[in-house]
Amino acid sequence: MLKLELKEVVVSVKGGTVVRHADLRVAEGEVLYIIGPNGSGKTSLLRAVLGYPGYEVVSGRVLFDGEDLTDKPMEYRVKRGLAITHQIPPKISGVKVGDLLAEILRRRGSTSEFKGITEMLRIEHLLNRDLNRNFSGGELKRVEIALTMAQSPKLALIDEPDSGVDVESLRFVARGVKEILNRSPFKSIVIVTHTGLIAKYIPPTKVCVMKEGVLKECRLPDFLKRALSEGFG
Amino acid sequence: MVNEVLDAARGEALKALDRAAPYGPDIDVREYLGLRVREPAKLEIGRVEGVGIDLRRARRTAMYMQVDDRVVESLSRLSGVEVTTVEDFIGNYPDIARELLWRLIKPGQDKYTAIAALKGVGGYYVRVKRGVKVSEPIQTCLFMASEGLQAPHNLVILEEGAEATIVTGCTIMPEVFGLHAGITEFYVMEGAKLSYVMIHAWNRGTHVRPRSAALLEDRASMVMYYMNLSRVKTLQTYPKVILKGNGSKVYASSIVLGRGGSVVDVGTEAVMVGDAASELVSRFVVKDRSRAWARARVSGVRGRGHIECKGLILSSKAALYSVPELGGTGRDVMLTHEASIGRIAEEEIAYLVSKGFSREEAEELIVRGFMNVEVRGLTGRMESYVKNVVRLMSRAAM
Repeated sequence: MLKLELKEVVVSVKGGTVVRHADLRVAEGEVLYIIGPNGSGKTSLLRAVLGYPGYEVVSGRVLFDGEDLTDKPMEYRVKRGLAITHQIPPKISGVKVGDLLAEILRRRGSTSEFKGITEMLRIEHLLNRDLNRNFSGGELKRVEIALTMAQSPKLALIDEPDSGVDVESLRFVARGVKEILNRSPFKSIVIVTHTGLIAKYIPPTKVCVMKEGVLKECRLPDFLKRALSEGFG
Repeated sequence: MVNEVLDAARGEALKALDRAAPYGPDIDVREYLGLRVREPAKLEIGRVEGVGIDLRRARRTAMYMQVDDRVVESLSRLSGVEVTTVEDFIGNYPDIARELLWRLIKPGQDKYTAIAALKGVGGYYVRVKRGVKVSEPIQTCLFMASEGLQAPHNLVILEEGAEATIVTGCTIMPEVFGLHAGITEFYVMEGAKLSYVMIHAWNRGTHVRPRSAALLEDRASMVMYYMNLSRVKTLQTYPKVILKGNGSKVYASSIVLGRGGSVVDVGTEAVMVGDAASELVSRFVVKDRSRAWARARVSGVRGRGHIECKGLILSSKAALYSVPELGGTGRDVMLTHEASIGRIAEEEIAYLVSKGFSREEAEELIVRGFMNVEVRGLTGRMESYVKNVVRLMSRAAM
């Protein structure tokens, strides 16, 4: 059964087209990778799916779990069970990592998960720090994954979990992404990557290439290795 | 003898009744000179608790409560701590009173000190004796229950090596308009540590002009928190901390919220005479049609000083001005400042909405984070209390 479907989606940012054409189908139990070079429109597509302000779907439809979300605001889409882990999250002064994580869990009535999540992602030392301020690349990713895990979404859109992280951090990030996948009632996830490093831990079931704003036809998992070594063409 | 001191203060004050303060809107104080007959004052416990006063706890430790001009309670059950009215202090210790009252603040400084010298009644005297370390906060409350003037004269003395936290809550009944012009003089002696938390909750008809000054001796330290919880008609205050002693330190933090049509002008000044350290931090949030001035001044001949003023404007009709000032003499002083005024970044709101918060909740989280200054020098319960006040303020800002 299809859980996320993009039909001929075109995305515009500040009046300029950043995604020229995207067709995508994410079925139950699917680990879908979107790969492609920098600047190909992968992040813009994920943000448009979530309804991020400024990322406008100018034509096409976004269907999620049987519902057309194209004209719905981000707040609604998140409530319906979509979530994103950001590639470059903003720094927010005074908002402490621990407080934010606790608040997300409290709203879900799952405060008991706090310790487990912080230990799994090795972010105990960051709990009293301002969100994303002076974090290393690995710390940024681990906190993002922790917050998404706390949200426990039906479908997570994971943006570049393996860029700018060291090998050690990648292991924890991958463990977290796997946990998000396990918690998904659909057992589905969408991962954007241009390095493919995370595939070692979470193998894809389908690989789609995005290039120059066009999401091309999706292929079988073994395409990933070839694409990363020989190019995305 | 003391009467001579007070008479001299009144004489000086009479000449200053029309002397405008350098900052803040000018108010005619002469209307408060006339004799007022007040109804018996009533105390509303909820409002007192709203400014951080825990009466049950205070009655077991040390407290001072004044409603309008009437002293309701003044007691200390703590060994080595005296809490009385300033009038009793003058009676008990005339020599000390003559030496310390009106020494740091001059009665003729401006029309507000003048009206306080001429018409002020009451005020607390808190003395923590040499070496006494008090873990429970000493709580004081100045409550305006009826229209008119409230101008107590407070005096705080921490003797050598003493340590204490004083919480002062100032509030008013909602329908009562008036002028609050409290005078507070702090003497923090060698090696003493004072934490002073002041919470204000006024109403839209009140003018507020507190005048405070502190003198810090060698290795004395003072931590000050100022927070205002509700709107006010006009508020202007610029406490001055004189760091006379070597090794003395001050950390002052003001968290100010401008709402409605409030005009707010709040600052802290540190004057470093000795080889001292000063850190003045402020967070201003303005909304509606409010206008605010965030001031800070550090000057000295020796030591290190730093000012951090940050402001957030939440509405198109609100205005905020940040005025940090540094002044050094000679080669042995190092002073720095950082100041910023901005609005809530849409990127931050969108990010938090992507994490499951509504836009309003996201804004509140960001404002709370913005107001969330480092809490120093306070013990567990007081630290939680300050954080809780910040939470209330960020909610009120929305």
